[in-house]
Amino acid sequence: MIEVRNLKKIYNGVTVVDVPALQINKGESVGLVGNNGAGKTTLFRMVLDLIRAESGEILSNGEVVAGHEKWKDYTAAYLDEGFLIDYLTPEEYFYFIGGLHNLNKAHVDEVLISLTDFFNGEILKKGKYIRDLSKGNQCKVGVASCLLQEPELLMLDEPFANIDPSTQFRLKNLLKDLNKSKGVTTIVSSHDLNHITDVCDRILLMEKGVIIKDIATSSSTLNELEAYFGVQVAPPAP
Amino acid sequence: MITTFLGHELKAFWRSKNTGKSIAIRVVMALLILYLFACILFAGLFLNKILEAAFPHDDVVISFCGIILLYFLFDLIMRMQLQELPTLRVQPYLHLPVKRNTVVSYLAFTAMLSVFNLWPIILFIPFVLKVILTDSGALPALAFVLAILGFMLFNNYLALFIKRKANLNGWVFLIFIATLGLIITGDFKFHLYSVRNTSYLYFGHLLTKPVLVLLPMILAVAMYYINFAYLKQNLYLEELSSRKASAYKSSTEFPLLNRFGKVGDLVANELKLIFRNKRPRSALVMGLFFMFYGLIFYTNSHYGQTWYIFVGMFMTGIFIINYGQFMYSWQAAHFDGLLVSKINFRDFLKAKYLLFTMVSTVAFILTTPYAYFGWHIVLVHFVMYLWNIGVNTTIVLFFANRNAKSINLSKGASFNWEGVGATQMLISFPLMLTPYIIYLPFSLFKHADIGLAMLATIGIIFVLTRDFWVKKLEEDFIQKRYTIAEGFRNK
Repeated sequence: MIEVRNLKKIYNGVTVVDVPALQINKGESVGLVGNNGAGKTTLFRMVLDLIRAESGEILSNGEVVAGHEKWKDYTAAYLDEGFLIDYLTPEEYFYFIGGLHNLNKAHVDEVLISLTDFFNGEILKKGKYIRDLSKGNQCKVGVASCLLQEPELLMLDEPFANIDPSTQFRLKNLLKDLNKSKGVTTIVSSHDLNHITDVCDRILLMEKGVIIKDIATSSSTLNELEAYFGVQVAPPAP
Repeated sequence: MITTFLGHELKAFWRSKNTGKSIAIRVVMALLILYLFACILFAGLFLNKILEAAFPHDDVVISFCGIILLYFLFDLIMRMQLQELPTLRVQPYLHLPVKRNTVVSYLAFTAMLSVFNLWPIILFIPFVLKVILTDSGALPALAFVLAILGFMLFNNYLALFIKRKANLNGWVFLIFIATLGLIITGDFKFHLYSVRNTSYLYFGHLLTKPVLVLLPMILAVAMYYINFAYLKQNLYLEELSSRKASAYKSSTEFPLLNRFGKVGDLVANELKLIFRNKRPRSALVMGLFFMFYGLIFYTNSHYGQTWYIFVGMFMTGIFIINYGQFMYSWQAAHFDGLLVSKINFRDFLKAKYLLFTMVSTVAFILTTPYAYFGWHIVLVHFVMYLWNIGVNTTIVLFFANRNAKSINLSKGASFNWEGVGATQMLISFPLMLTPYIIYLPFSLFKHADIGLAMLATIGIIFVLTRDFWVKKLEEDFIQKRYTIAEGFRNK
């Protein structure tokens, strides 16, 4: 599905992403973890052709992402609030996104009804523009608009960060279901190690722009990750 | 504590995005501001001459006393429209161990730092020093200065108080504006009373009884205190913020646009952008005011057709110029979303063309009553309308590809330099000059009509070849998209 070759991104002389090779197959669920500044969001943005790589390339379904638009047909992503048109009501936004994929209103409504639990009564018919919603609810709108597009590739950047525990639980189930029963390739980043090991079959650990670990999730993965992140804490002074 | 606050305020000013511009733009801005300042200062220094010319039968002192209150009446209207509330800047201090009184006095104090509190000083004080001081002596002159400052501060705090109230209840604003409107029409239309006479009544007596200066000073202090007390009681974010208490926001549709498919959807979104956000909305409203531009030129016979070209271009294309010069910046906040979603950039551009064409058409229809000054004017308007939807739209979009400054939609347009950069300076040259480069050679050789025909033809050619320009602009955009998106991300 996604193939990365010799990818490098440099900001002011500092290499923020350096991925010599990475292959993500169709139907995989990949979790991206790493401390702040590890390059997760930058990598996401390059996969979405939002920033230009210094060198190297990213292929989606065998086609270079940069300068092409075919990947937009089957890719849905929500990285931050900058993806939402904030002066629209959530309904208007959903119809707009649906319209881009040639879905009529009835179809969009149908999908939205299936998301009733996920919305928890806080999104639809509230009479608010997206900009007046809380960050958590904005995240729900972003995720829902991704689902609406019925993607083959779904990318979410820290989706668990601002949403309430019930929604976190529902989102995990949604992601698992999409991956297992619909075969959607998912790439999700998170700082919550419990969630990420729960949802993803494969974990990529980034540090200073480099993928230093690429592990298939097993019962020991969580401990392994906790050990890694625990080491980062400075030992108490003697 | 107040000094710490002031220090922060200065830092906020110098470090804000608006001031962190390249040297060239800062110089141009400084020149513009200096020019404006100089104009007012000039008016202030020669106010006695101006008054003599305007009211040749009256004594200058009488005329001067007459206009002061009138000025402050209009000052109040301007403030209601343009003055910004100094508000959310206190948010970071509210939860800290800082006394409420300190925070409130800081807020009340910074409220004085407004350009509106500069104009009366440079406009009136020179006259007071030149005429009143020499005629009546130091004491009345001092009384005048204090009275003017008093009215100025009264206006300042009254406007802010009403604005704060209006944030919680929109009716307050309407009622206040209606009252001001009534006061003005009562004077100028129905002649029930005269603000000028009232003004003279007060300031005339001030000359002989300087003790009257206490009146405006008491008013100012009272208004300051009301403001202070109100702020202190309502030091909560909801009441401070300039965001209005939100009513139910319903979804809207533009059925007319449905037949344009995806392009129509994009235009519908952009229309919502304009109507639902403060700054683009004011760009549109300013455009409406420009519809009266023609009255200045068409009523005066010594402006010929050469001027009409300019006027016609502005009236039918003000939206293209005013809104279009900041193109794509309006969408900076969700530009990433636009790039990632399944939007064909060609559709995106076509939507811009469609939007411009629609608004220009409306503007052209609105200007047809100028037929009163002769059908020829409507013809010139039509030619410039064609020029606008053909050539100017393309020029504006060409520069849009070179503009990477983000704009915060929720801030007002007045004195807002955000998003202003070299692009906006450069764009005015082709917009203003090209029609004249084509028209003038013909008109100088007494073939003005051929010049007009040329403008119309070029406009039509550009409209007919839009697909070609869309393609060129798209190719150009693909080159520049990373720079634009990067600029928009750096808020």
